[in-house]
Amino acid sequence: MRRHLNVLVESGLAVLMIAALFAVFVYVPSEREMGVVQRIFYFHVSSAIAAFVGFAMVFVASIQYLRTRRENWDCLALAAAELGVVFSLIVLISGPIWAKPIWGVFWRWEPRLTSMLIAFTIYVAYLIVRSYTTGSPDRTRRFAAVIGVVAFVNVPLVYYSVNLWSADQQLHPREVELAPAMVQTRYLAFAAIIALFFYLLKRRYELEKLARNVERLDADLPLH
Amino acid sequence: MNYVGQTITILRKDLSLEWRSKERITPMVLFVLLILLVFNFSFELGGAVLSEIGPGVLWSAFIFAGLLSLHRTFASERQNETLDALLLAPIDRSALYLSKMLSNFVFLLAVQLFSLPPFCFFFNLSPEPPLLLLLPVLVLGAACLAAVGTLFAAMSIHSRLREQFLPLLVLPMMVPALISCIGGTAEVFDQTQRFAIGDQVEIFSDGLVTHLQMLGTYAMVFNALALMLFEYIVEE
Repeated sequence: MRRHLNVLVESGLAVLMIAALFAVFVYVPSEREMGVVQRIFYFHVSSAIAAFVGFAMVFVASIQYLRTRRENWDCLALAAAELGVVFSLIVLISGPIWAKPIWGVFWRWEPRLTSMLIAFTIYVAYLIVRSYTTGSPDRTRRFAAVIGVVAFVNVPLVYYSVNLWSADQQLHPREVELAPAMVQTRYLAFAAIIALFFYLLKRRYELEKLARNVERLDADLPLH
Repeated sequence: MNYVGQTITILRKDLSLEWRSKERITPMVLFVLLILLVFNFSFELGGAVLSEIGPGVLWSAFIFAGLLSLHRTFASERQNETLDALLLAPIDRSALYLSKMLSNFVFLLAVQLFSLPPFCFFFNLSPEPPLLLLLPVLVLGAACLAAVGTLFAAMSIHSRLREQFLPLLVLPMMVPALISCIGGTAEVFDQTQRFAIGDQVEIFSDGLVTHLQMLGTYAMVFNALALMLFEYIVEE
């Protein structure tokens, strides 16, 4: 039964992603001024939202872990952090590809770029800290949870302060008026990326739980 | 003993240890001077560019020196095998954080104050009265670094990453505070230089006030977080 459900979910996701690709590359017209490269925006913005959903989930799961000490929350925090990092990497790579022809440079120290980069480095540090032992698995989990909470509280402070400093003022387009086809494509791409995010999250979470079970079984075995 | 008494007792212990050995402040001050020396080879620091890159240089030096020293907050307790005793003592865990944070705050501020005169001397910043405005920037900057640094130093002693642990987390976390430290310092340097040539100066310009507010907010947020979370770090 469960197998059938998985196949159903996976096929649904595949259809959604192919539809999104079709919409982005075929259905939607090119933007008048920026041309074809603007199409990157559909994935870029959705990935940025997915990354911050991941970071927010690390925050919630970390608080829950400290409260309840149930290992499942820790697995969720780890899975969400990894996906947050992956999706912010997509943002940091797709952004410059768009920026080079439009701004003339790959990178500008503009508030959103800078904030994204800083958030990315913090969560990479989170993953590095997790991968080094602290003497006991329980302690590593507690440390990770504390970092998960502190890191997320820092995100709005970073955003505010980077705005305060910014040499280049806000260059991201705000309140753009989009043609109906563009709006439809945006929502479709967003749905596909978010669905992919949650699907990967579920798989990574289950994998982590299995890995820990194996570790536990291994530890219970008599010395080989 | 009440909460304040507990905090003050540990704080006094750390301060008198440092007073006798000076093993944290002295190397830090020298380290700051060495960084300034190295930066001097990359940039011509005096004169007009002082208020442009001087503050960044100064705070880079402060933060690198701070990172080296912050690891010792709990590492020295561990070397002397006194950490367990501290944790066994019938005191509130957050009082332990508070006292360690305050001692770090004192050390960091002392280092900043000791290295400021050589900075002015080597980079031709005449010490006019407006330079006094730097004091609130230094105090709040040290408070921010002490809060973040103490929280993570309690973790760094256990991690296999050892000395690499602190920079990895403290540097990105400190970005909001660092921006305002550098911004505020730039304002103050600017006013000082203008005062030196007889221009009109503006005490507490809008820019400086905004930066000070940011630093105050950051210090409060992180101290509150650390007070809440510290017990989860040291629990055994």
